[in-house]
Amino acid sequence: MRRTAALLLRHSVGGGAGGIPQALADALVCPLSKKPLRYCESSGSLVSDAVGVSFPIVDGIPCLVPKDGKLLDHDQEKAEDGSTKDSSYNQ
Amino acid sequence: MALRSASTRLRLLLASSSSRSRSTRRLLPDPAAPTHTDMAFLHSHATSFGYKQVPEEEKSKLVGNVFTSVASTYDLMNDLMSVGLHRLWKDRLISKLNPFPGMKHLDVAGGTGDVAFRVMERINSMNHRTMQAALADIEETKIYVCDINPNMLNVGKKRASERGYKEGHCLSWIEGDAEALSFEDGSMDGYTIAFGIRNVTHIEKALSEAYRVLKRGGRFLCLELSHVDVPLFKEIYDVYSFSVIPAMGELVAGDRQSYQYLVESIRRFPNQEKFGQMIQEAGFERVQYENLVGGVVAIHSGLKL
Repeated sequence: MRRTAALLLRHSVGGGAGGIPQALADALVCPLSKKPLRYCESSGSLVSDAVGVSFPIVDGIPCLVPKDGKLLDHDQEKAEDGSTKDSSYNQ
Repeated sequence: MALRSASTRLRLLLASSSSRSRSTRRLLPDPAAPTHTDMAFLHSHATSFGYKQVPEEEKSKLVGNVFTSVASTYDLMNDLMSVGLHRLWKDRLISKLNPFPGMKHLDVAGGTGDVAFRVMERINSMNHRTMQAALADIEETKIYVCDINPNMLNVGKKRASERGYKEGHCLSWIEGDAEALSFEDGSMDGYTIAFGIRNVTHIEKALSEAYRVLKRGGRFLCLELSHVDVPLFKEIYDVYSFSVIPAMGELVAGDRQSYQYLVESIRRFPNQEKFGQMIQEAGFERVQYENLVGGVVAIHSGLKL
């Protein structure tokens, strides 16, 4: 059971109904900047750090139409990038 | 790496030696003709919704509404309107594509999956015939279906699962804009757009995006409703288009207006020669087109060299 779950997590970004395969996420780029996208766990969306925009994934389909992108405000970006967050970051 | 360059060379060889039927015409750069597409023409396409004039920023929303409305009966209507011929036209498109196992292919405006499924089936049939085909190659095949309309994509995904395609295996469904593709430069071996380019607001942007994402040696193919010049047949076709099709749309899809838009947008789209020039201007070479059914549809192709 645990091995299956681990296998699924490895191959799928986010897992479950909203997720897309890692291979697909790696192949996609931001439609505006053409730079790589980052998967954001908490919002289940693909983030373009280059332009500060996030694109949703709906029913397993990444929505990468430019006008569907949501502008991220600065704090939101920092909060979602959990791994390298500096705990003493001041607003 | 060596395999890829070998297949590129093979594709270029095939492109130059492919037999051309009488109705295929190759576009040659004409030094006397202007080499830029008229800005006025591009503007007029961007602001026309069939025969109506619309603000440029409105066009994609209006087109979006059309396809949201017709998505559920799209395939049935295609069969009815073309009396099943659209299937043959798409078969012809795929045969010109020359799919190969391990290819990365992008089908734009391919919502309900017709072209993508054909590419998959063609590759799968090759795999069964040639036992030497490495398993890795089959696994590596990636077909991306991109469409601006989520309803069309959902229909495609459903059809894929009905056909037994494993989710997320070779086929991927992406909501995106032909004018701003979400793929890297030089990442695709093939690009197809079937009955989609007519609906794009800025054709030249879609063409330059197609050029951008294709690899060197990559092939561009466009299947689109085009202009009929054959006398008498043209008149019959016009009557059919303007009288029968919108009525069929009303009866079957409950949407006369969308099908009125469809027939009007065909007339507004550039003719075969003009569209071929636009493809050349995007950078493609060896641009040619093949008329089917006297020009009711045309398949334009080009290579990125």
